[in-house]
Amino acid sequence: MVAAAWICLFAPLAAAAAITLAGNRLSRPGAGYVATASVGAAFVAALVAFASLLGRDGEQRDVSSTAWTWLSAGNLDFELSILVDPLSVLMMLIVTGVGALIVGYSIGYMDGEDEERRFFAYMALFVFSMLLLVQSGNFLMLLAGWGLVGLSSYLLIGFHQERPSAIAAAKKAFIMNAFGDATMVLALFLLVQQAGTLDYGGTFAQAEELASNGWVVNLIALGLLGGAVAKSAQLPLQTWLPDAMEGPTPVSALIHAATMVTAGVFLLVRTAPLFEVAPRIQDLAAGLGAATLLLAGLIALVQTDIKRVIAYSTMSQIGYMFLGAGLGAYANGMFHLMTHAFFKALLFLAAGIVIHALVGEQDIRKMGGLRRLMPRTWLAFLVGGLALAGMPPLSGFFSKDSILASALASGTYGQILLAAGLVGAFLTGLYTFRMIFIVFGGAPSEHVREHLHLHGRKEGPFWMTATVAVLAVLAVVGGGVQIAGVWHPLADFLRTSAEPLVEPSVAQDLITSAIAVALGLAGIAVAWWTYAVKRISPPRPSAARLTLERKFYFDEAYDLLFYRPAVMLARAWGNWIERPLIFGSISGLSAGTRGLARGVSDTQTGFLRTYALAIAGGVAILALVFVSVRA
Amino acid sequence: MMGPSITAYLILAAALFTTGAVGVLVRRSPLIILLSLEIMLNGANLALIAFSRYHGELDGHDCQGEDLAVAASEVVVGLGLIVAMSRRRLDLDVDRLTTLRG
Repeated sequence: MVAAAWICLFAPLAAAAAITLAGNRLSRPGAGYVATASVGAAFVAALVAFASLLGRDGEQRDVSSTAWTWLSAGNLDFELSILVDPLSVLMMLIVTGVGALIVGYSIGYMDGEDEERRFFAYMALFVFSMLLLVQSGNFLMLLAGWGLVGLSSYLLIGFHQERPSAIAAAKKAFIMNAFGDATMVLALFLLVQQAGTLDYGGTFAQAEELASNGWVVNLIALGLLGGAVAKSAQLPLQTWLPDAMEGPTPVSALIHAATMVTAGVFLLVRTAPLFEVAPRIQDLAAGLGAATLLLAGLIALVQTDIKRVIAYSTMSQIGYMFLGAGLGAYANGMFHLMTHAFFKALLFLAAGIVIHALVGEQDIRKMGGLRRLMPRTWLAFLVGGLALAGMPPLSGFFSKDSILASALASGTYGQILLAAGLVGAFLTGLYTFRMIFIVFGGAPSEHVREHLHLHGRKEGPFWMTATVAVLAVLAVVGGGVQIAGVWHPLADFLRTSAEPLVEPSVAQDLITSAIAVALGLAGIAVAWWTYAVKRISPPRPSAARLTLERKFYFDEAYDLLFYRPAVMLARAWGNWIERPLIFGSISGLSAGTRGLARGVSDTQTGFLRTYALAIAGGVAILALVFVSVRA
Repeated sequence: MMGPSITAYLILAAALFTTGAVGVLVRRSPLIILLSLEIMLNGANLALIAFSRYHGELDGHDCQGEDLAVAASEVVVGLGLIVAMSRRRLDLDVDRLTTLRG
């Protein structure tokens, strides 16, 4: 089992290295096959680990393995170790399973693109980073995976390096993530100082002692939350995520569905013992999730880029997961993470088929009437959209409503957040079906008639349609893993990793389900009335709309608060300190040396007699000195 | 064997040396400068021999002999340079040879 976990971890890294080293000797599609095979192999290995974990008793499903001690300083040992427990195995399955489908899809999507090899090497590296993150056995390896995920997302978002906007988006994502990394590092420093170890087991065992010193444990939890918030694009570090749509569509799917943004939720669950002794910070996480899910849902209503609509829906859904994990409903948060991976990957990849067929067009205002032209893609989109909106019996229904039920069972604070979640359910139905009705409904638009580029009866290359079909099936049946009131194997499986703090009753589940489905249906109905029946075309500027289109002015505010002052400070330092002091001293030194040299060189007249006189004078002086000294 | 006192010799030597030095400093023809250098050397040689006699030792004579050899070699080199200059049709004027000016 341990061997399987190690294979799972290193297969994608090996593929990345192989593709990089093989260079031109590997054909372009070959690189895609190598990457897909490696992630597929990792998935098989994860399945093996999962199976052997199931074969153990509940108490023994917690295996760690150490490759070597990486760093040893005083009493501190940092080991390259992995932890195989239900939580990490679940994440391994999601990351490699959905990841393999997305990488396979890229074989079709990236076909003919320049630098396919680089793309696939990055994709494999990304999967490896995420696996390192979820499999790590201590906080230091977690941090390494955390940073590597940030790096590989930077590489992939900026994959179209000839596009300045892609470079800017990549930098933005990296800097926002680096901020989260920094707060995490600070939390780890505190942990080392207070607990003397970075092992999960060691630190969690000391959680109670840490809690006796209130501010320390709060600071640690806050630092970890900072990392989670940055990686998962929650308020207030959410602005990088929509810009990350600059990457190729499979990258968006990988970042948004299987990897990266789910890391924050994973962290909340993984470090639950630390968060539980800092309940205020945990509540803060839930509150941030609720705020983000509302905010992102509102912004998604006015986006005109098909990928950005889905991107904001990701932020919104991650908000649900934060809400669940923050309230202590760990299994429900992870459950939603899993189903979300299915239907969000499905939506992104289906959107990729649409974009591919329209030769790169992403503006939904130019789309329309694709339902008859691409019926299977429409079906896939519909499945993904219904799952996203939480309609029964699709997967999103079970997972989202289990989070809402947990909120209902969590007292007053939970019920306030529940209200946000319910409004979010309405918004989800509205923005999802706004997009679907605009893109697929009505008669084909002029742009579609001119540019639609289908290969005969097929709606896309084999690799693209096949993977989308698999994801569509998963999005339909994925929710069956856990049905409130019927069975809950996932929650039981995860119980040894993180004991949930709330367990909603079946009645609470039914109530929230009914309300949420009704609100989701209402959202769909409004979308249907506005965008299918009346076919209102999207742009209609007004103050509220402008606020939404400007994404609540977060970018502008950060620009004003951080970027401009930093630039002004830098300029002031440059003008008043660097130029006169540093630059001035150096140029003064060189000017002085030059002037001195010029003065000395004036004595070099070139006239023989000058030198003769100088020698004679020098000898005369020396003679005088010798004589006077002797005397 | 009494001749003039050592003072007279030294005054003559100093006069010779000064004449030569002034010649080196003020004349422009390289040939004359070489001549002036010889006069300076001879001034020095005269002083050496005068001291040698005064002390009754031969050290000064030794030195003077070496001086003569040095002076002869110097004339060879110097005259060679002057011949080379005139072959290149350069003016025989040291004030024109200012390549070393900084």
